[in-house]
Amino acid sequence: MAGGRRILIAGIASHWGTELARALERHPLVEQVIGLDTVPPPIDLERTEMLEVDIRSPALARLVPATGADTLVHAGILLYPEAGKPARALHDINVIGTLQLLAACERSPTIERVVVRGSAAIYGCEPAGPSFFKEEMARSFALRTRFQRDIGELEGYFENFARRHSDLTCCMLRYQPEIGPGLRTPLARYLSLPAVPTQLGFDPRLQLVHAEDATAALLAATLDPVPGAVNIAPSGSISLSRALRMGGRTQIPLPHPLFAPAMARLGDRLGAGTLYGDAIRLLRFGRGVDNRRMRDELGFRPRFDATGAIRDFARAGQGMRLAPAPGIASVLGRVAGVSR
Amino acid sequence: MSAPPTTSLPEAASRFLRGVRTAIDGGLDPLAAAEAASSELPKSLRDAIGRMSQRMRGEYHEDEWGFDEEFAEAAYPFFELLYDHWWRVEADGVDNVPSHGRAMLVSNHAGSLFPFDASMITGAIMKRHALPRWPRFMVLDWAFSLPFLSAFMRKVGGVPASPHNATRILEQDGLMMVFPEGVKGTGKPFAERYRLQRFGRGGFVEIALRTGSPIVPVAVVGSEEIYPKIADSALLARAVGAPFAPITPTFPWLGVLGLIPLPSKWRIEFCDPIDLSGLGPDDAEDRRIVFEISEQVRETIQQKLYENLVKRGSAFI
Repeated sequence: MAGGRRILIAGIASHWGTELARALERHPLVEQVIGLDTVPPPIDLERTEMLEVDIRSPALARLVPATGADTLVHAGILLYPEAGKPARALHDINVIGTLQLLAACERSPTIERVVVRGSAAIYGCEPAGPSFFKEEMARSFALRTRFQRDIGELEGYFENFARRHSDLTCCMLRYQPEIGPGLRTPLARYLSLPAVPTQLGFDPRLQLVHAEDATAALLAATLDPVPGAVNIAPSGSISLSRALRMGGRTQIPLPHPLFAPAMARLGDRLGAGTLYGDAIRLLRFGRGVDNRRMRDELGFRPRFDATGAIRDFARAGQGMRLAPAPGIASVLGRVAGVSR
Repeated sequence: MSAPPTTSLPEAASRFLRGVRTAIDGGLDPLAAAEAASSELPKSLRDAIGRMSQRMRGEYHEDEWGFDEEFAEAAYPFFELLYDHWWRVEADGVDNVPSHGRAMLVSNHAGSLFPFDASMITGAIMKRHALPRWPRFMVLDWAFSLPFLSAFMRKVGGVPASPHNATRILEQDGLMMVFPEGVKGTGKPFAERYRLQRFGRGGFVEIALRTGSPIVPVAVVGSEEIYPKIADSALLARAVGAPFAPITPTFPWLGVLGLIPLPSKWRIEFCDPIDLSGLGPDDAEDRRIVFEISEQVRETIQQKLYENLVKRGSAFI
């Protein structure tokens, strides 16, 4: 099909990059998908052309204009260390990588839209209000963790880029952490532990985006972005204790100063990996964001609310449970005659 | 009260156990046996067990602020005890609180760390109002950084003190309780009790104007005697990171016992609502209007405080 959209996805081998490419390939308005990453995506993409290049490499300035893409989607921002991408490489990949990508955009006359899949970590996790951050409330608090500062820095570059190129639609998506059946993020693995260490006396409010909604929101923003930042989050919120009860997980409350060291020691052994970035603070103070801009301006309505996302995750029931066979709750339920 | 003929609990329990025994003898596994015999238990007990099981599975309602109505109802009897017997609260004018739609309750603030005044105002609404509903109240940010207190406050309707939160709750047609005196109110010395502190910069009026909410001034007498602060320990405050650390006749001398609030006598008066519908969101930008309304609210509360102090008579008996 001639005259359709040509979309370049940076970080196509990431879960979100691959999912987006898969959705775009099926879309009638899309003529060509071009993927950019150091390794090929884990699944076969038929209509996608691959550019194997490191996002930090200056070669981008030559390769990106040659693609003739009209939309650039940066889906390669890493939220936590992975195999082959240790914590110390994250700053380079996230900040320098984004900078190289934006520099390449400046040389690409065909680019009309730039979409970055960022993080709501820029708001921090604070005991103080606001309980629902709006887009203009970024940086109300000091950026406390390394990851937050990286996000802050790359958002700074992005805003600067958007200011200088007012003819382009530059959209920054601020994602709350994702969850979903089959998704293996550190937070999802943490919530799947048979016995889950929590911080004694704290019960944070969480908003976790269902993986299905996370992909659909990225697709919506890719096809029709709005200028500026947009929070990607479900409506409502759910407390950690309720989320764990829904999953039938046993809580092990630890005094909060012991939580981070305990997770660092036990995390790997229990299969949860290390909780990175602001996850420790997220699991103490929680974070809520306002999603009205996503619903009204981006026009994306998530399928799951905060409770629904957890319920769907719990239904898939990853990992083993510690509770004795029938579970106290279900015994009580049967005695009371409440059907499950 | 004419109750249907019921059996006593021990009797029902023994019938239940006998039923389980018979069913097991009949070849059922213990769980199925318990299920079969459960009809012997009284309905209220079965309902309570059912609710407990649902809570353990996370099947209960929380709103987006983390307010958990079932939890608040479970905690309510304790505050009702304080309301009726410890502080012997008398409440006037509760029906000045609108029974539906957005409204802002503005009150004087005292009582150190735990917002007992907020819980007693809540108690007055829940006990005396014709159509009671749970108000939300602003809590000092510091409380949300503490274990236990943060989770508790959130579940009973507290939200971190932030103009954005107040605005959002009013936009959702909620009942928002604010304390414009803030820390200056809770931390004022005993000698200055019932002398209202500065009402900040009138931010609460701006919010009321922007959201089109009526303001109901509330005067609380009694809260300012529960922790008579005779001195302040800046050193202790800095050590624990608190905004202030009160020294009272009992704290810190009696340790944890010193945290028991004194049993003063309380009066709560809900004043006539101040209708702002003649003004619009644009007037929130006008400093003169904002200060005028703020001062009007402050004077109303101050005057009602004096009136109720006289009506109350002696502070403790």
